[in-house]
Amino acid sequence: MARCLHRSALLLLLLASSAISRATDWELSLDTRLVSSDAYPSFMDGGLGTVRFGSDDSGIKLGRARLAVTQPLGQLFSAHLDASVFDDKDRSALGVTEAYLLFRPYPRAGYRLRMKAGGFYPPVSLENRSSGWESPYTLSYSAINSWLAVEVRTLGVEGTLDWLGTRTGHAFDLGITGGVFGWNDRAGVMIASNGFVLTDRQTPLFGRLGQPGVQPLNGAEPFMEIDHRAGAYLGLEARYFDRAVLRVLRYDNRGDPSAPDTVSHVLAWETRFTSAGLRIEAEHGWTAIVQWLGGDTTIAPPSLTLNWPFQSTFGLLSKRIGRSTLSARYDRFAVQTNAPEVYGAQDGHAWTAAYIFDADAHWRFALEWLRVTSSSENRQEAGGPPLANETQWQLAIRYALGSGTR
Amino acid sequence: MRPPARAHCSRSPRGLSRTLLALLTLLCAVRPACPATLIVRVQTPDGHALPGAVVTIRPLEGAARHAAPVHALMDQVNRSFAPDLLVIPVGSSVEFPNSDSVSHQIYSFSPAKRFQLPLYRGKPYPPTHFDQPGVVTLGCNIHDEMLAYLLVTDAPWYGRTNEAGSWSAEVPHGRYRVELWHPRLRDNEAELGRELTVADADRAELTLRLSRPLQPAPLTDRPHSWDY
Repeated sequence: MARCLHRSALLLLLLASSAISRATDWELSLDTRLVSSDAYPSFMDGGLGTVRFGSDDSGIKLGRARLAVTQPLGQLFSAHLDASVFDDKDRSALGVTEAYLLFRPYPRAGYRLRMKAGGFYPPVSLENRSSGWESPYTLSYSAINSWLAVEVRTLGVEGTLDWLGTRTGHAFDLGITGGVFGWNDRAGVMIASNGFVLTDRQTPLFGRLGQPGVQPLNGAEPFMEIDHRAGAYLGLEARYFDRAVLRVLRYDNRGDPSAPDTVSHVLAWETRFTSAGLRIEAEHGWTAIVQWLGGDTTIAPPSLTLNWPFQSTFGLLSKRIGRSTLSARYDRFAVQTNAPEVYGAQDGHAWTAAYIFDADAHWRFALEWLRVTSSSENRQEAGGPPLANETQWQLAIRYALGSGTR
Repeated sequence: MRPPARAHCSRSPRGLSRTLLALLTLLCAVRPACPATLIVRVQTPDGHALPGAVVTIRPLEGAARHAAPVHALMDQVNRSFAPDLLVIPVGSSVEFPNSDSVSHQIYSFSPAKRFQLPLYRGKPYPPTHFDQPGVVTLGCNIHDEMLAYLLVTDAPWYGRTNEAGSWSAEVPHGRYRVELWHPRLRDNEAELGRELTVADADRAELTLRLSRPLQPAPLTDRPHSWDY
């Protein structure tokens, strides 16, 4: 742990000092946790636990060490890099969660275009709205957004056209987003092997899941291009002033489920989903979010087609009082399957309660309680109980520095 | 917002001798330019005072008059424009310094003034001139939540209502059109405007009441690191 922290701090400082110039906006943060958990080992440790820290992880842990840099390139382009260390369970401790080039011409006649190219999150989450794709409400993301953090990223291009109605005397803004991407042919492995989890560990681009040689994930890489077919998504967004956001997105990685990778011989997973979410913010610091995601993932090894439909919903209610944010969230999630011995079926729900105190621009303190109740065919197969309760407590202290906090 | 300075003329007879009062009354009767205080009160549909509403007054008779241009400042502090609304006469100029440690990129696509201030911190640009009347909506191309308005007016008298929802101006006797504007107005502006005659009295009052509630105010207590 100490070695990992030391190494990651050194790496981030090195990156920071080489990348930062006067025009650069940057952020450097260290988030440490005091963890108490009775959960099964997490997917990164080869377990089937549904939270980030298993019972063996109780004690002081690294939450996240992060460096984010935004470098303007001329007037209309900017380069964005988000690098983090979550633990030392991947190939290298330091990984890049997002890296992209943004083209943002000035709005004209009430319309605005944005183009992104690189690796980044598709616009699904209404919860992960803080820098670093973190949630300002809780430490652990909802089951939906945890899955995106673990397995889904756009490695490609995305274009968004917004009609800025609120800037021209109307009550609404409307936006349409389309993305074309590759290197996400293995999204779905985690759903079929472990099901949904609630975590805040974001798999770095080209990172791996679990540990090589340890089933069920065996170090699977979600960001692989296997079938050489581009995936695509199309999303719509409507905003009512700055009070409500409605977001709908259809995603299809257009994987060829029978195509094996020529080197590793793993199959492409065809993963499709639809998501819809609504976030409402009101006076006196109230926020409510509901989000739903439903889809399926398929592989077709010779003479077999295996399919895992999955669904998750959550509702979150949050109240900000001065520098304090109190939040409660309820998640439901389920995975079904046609696989023999119902491999991968899961059903569960989770309660999350969090208190976050933003002391100033530098210090943030958070306390979170998370309890997941789930049945998992795979866990039962591995000798676990048919129904398990897992509880994770986290006390987090984060210190941040940056051009925005000076 | 203070109205432009005008020539003073005594309007309160208190403390003057009866003779002087009689003389003054006579003087005002033959000189229509003698000012009176026009008080405009603005109310929400439920009768509460509406602070911050912009009131403009234009004479309907006599020679056209304009307020003198001003040099104004709209700062950027904590990823917000400060102030978030300025009323300026046509021909005025405004400076947009950025006091934040992050860069901003200011734009307007409003027909009254289309302009852009490329990415900057500090005060690298000369003032921007506004020579067309109208509403100029300002945004930042980096930080979506930043929003401000400039009302460029050709009215000789203009200002914003105080906490009690009222604003007053010294105007000569005559006929006027009083208009109301607010960035979150749902009412039709033209229907809210009123014409009135400021006659012999030294004081005239007008109350304007909105027929529809204002649109919701932007939420102000969101941390800056959140997306819009």
